[in-house]
Amino acid sequence: MSILSIESLFVRYGGITALNGVSVEVRQGETVLLIGSNGAGKSSLINAVTGLVSTSGGRILFEGRDLAGIPSAARSRLGIGYSPEGRRVFRSLTVRENVLSSTLGLSRAAAEENFAWACSIFPLLAERAGQPANQLSGGEQQIVALARAVSTLPKLLLLDEPFLGLAPVWIDRISDAIRELQRRGTTILMTEQMARPALKLVDRAYVMRGGEVRRSGDVAEIREEALAEEYL
Amino acid sequence: MAPDRHRDFWLDLWGMALLLPLLAMPLLFKDPFILSLTYQFAIGVAASLSVYVMLRMGLLSFTVPAFMAVGGYAAAMLAKSGVTEIMALMLASFVLPMIFAVPLGLLVLKLKGLYFIFITFIFNEILQLIIFETPKLTGGSDGVVGVPAATFLGADLGVPWRQVFATVAVCLIASVIAFAASHRYRAEFTSIEENETLAESLGVAVWKYRMIGYIVSAGVAGLAGLALVNMLGTAHPSSFASWSVNNYIAYVFVGGRGTVLGVVVGSYLLIYMTNVFNAYAHLSAGLFGLLLIAVMMAAPGGVVGTAVKLFGGFRADKGDAPRPAPAGGAA
Repeated sequence: MSILSIESLFVRYGGITALNGVSVEVRQGETVLLIGSNGAGKSSLINAVTGLVSTSGGRILFEGRDLAGIPSAARSRLGIGYSPEGRRVFRSLTVRENVLSSTLGLSRAAAEENFAWACSIFPLLAERAGQPANQLSGGEQQIVALARAVSTLPKLLLLDEPFLGLAPVWIDRISDAIRELQRRGTTILMTEQMARPALKLVDRAYVMRGGEVRRSGDVAEIREEALAEEYL
Repeated sequence: MAPDRHRDFWLDLWGMALLLPLLAMPLLFKDPFILSLTYQFAIGVAASLSVYVMLRMGLLSFTVPAFMAVGGYAAAMLAKSGVTEIMALMLASFVLPMIFAVPLGLLVLKLKGLYFIFITFIFNEILQLIIFETPKLTGGSDGVVGVPAATFLGADLGVPWRQVFATVAVCLIASVIAFAASHRYRAEFTSIEENETLAESLGVAVWKYRMIGYIVSAGVAGLAGLALVNMLGTAHPSSFASWSVNNYIAYVFVGGRGTVLGVVVGSYLLIYMTNVFNAYAHLSAGLFGLLLIAVMMAAPGGVVGTAVKLFGGFRADKGDAPRPAPAGGAA
């Protein structure tokens, strides 16, 4: 069953076409990768799903519901969790406040319960709960951004370049966290330029270039084909 | 200098604590200059906190004099009609500006940056125009004169020391409201100030919290307006002139926009120095400007912000720095 269905999506920034009729499907419980170099349109697609950029054509269906006209904050409440590229934690807030910032619409008890759930996946949160986010390393900030995205128990988790700028040890830790989320049944759509670690995590992949999907298929297919030359 | 929630909370509490001595001033001193300074401090802090609440979301609102006018005129008209009980006046001065803030907020809270500043500034001019063009209701250019002294449970507050005490008390309540709101919604306001787009994408209803802040800011300004009318015994358009918001904004930035203590220190410093400069009548405006330039150049984070930065650095030098992040992280 498809949880996210993107049909012939167009995104334009002025005269520049960032997405040119892209179609992507994510099924319940699977992890899908959008892979491509800078400017391929990966983040534009994620931002279109979150409602941060306007689309100029096509449809985005989430659980069969067209997201057109639904504001970004409301999409989050529908069950779309989002971890942006480059972490972007709230620097003045503590780790705990950062994680809870995505649960502000929930009751205190529900927010606490979700925070505890996030802590069970990311033990670091409990250790650093009271520490301002700007005192964390890049890897730790990524953990906070991930925890913030999953603390609403989303039906679909969007991860935009979770490995960007991280040292190998943190890529391994983030990968472990993603595996744990998968084990708990979270559906994930992620983008990544670093194909090698990302392909180990996903079920299917879409190769994007110039705002279009050039190839899609199971990880094994993608890995075997020309992609290896370009991205691995 | 890293932000620190507990430190900021204590600095805010210190700011509130610094307001308490103002209550004792009318009990201890009879000197008109000290009493005048006292109520100027109280009103200045309350009005500045109205600016501060919006600044917590990164919005520089120029509507403060307009909301002060709504609160002040509401109290003056109510008192003229025979309702002088200070609690009733406070209720009117607090609630009416908040009601006005709802439609205004619907108009302006989707705007950002210069557009927001410009439109909120225009509101003041529109309100001034309305006041001048509705003499039957507002007294026009004469204002509402001969406002009877407020009472508290039947006791006359017209005696000078009681008048100052009541003014300070009203401003203290306004300050507590601003303090409570900025702490209740700290996470929401901070996330909006730091990255509104990200906050929105995480499900923070940005517009809703902006509206809450705007309504609270209006109510706080309304109480400051009541305090001003209570002291002057009149509600006059010049008391709520558009340019007066420049002073309130200056108090916030000179003291430090990050904490209530900054607002209080900035208000005390600039109001006191204004009174000192008034002795040099023809030079006072220039001296005030020089002071602003000097403080902002020497302490760009405001007096309190810069002091905290220096003190924090001093603590860090002594080995009291925050725990460093473990190795392994990048970026």
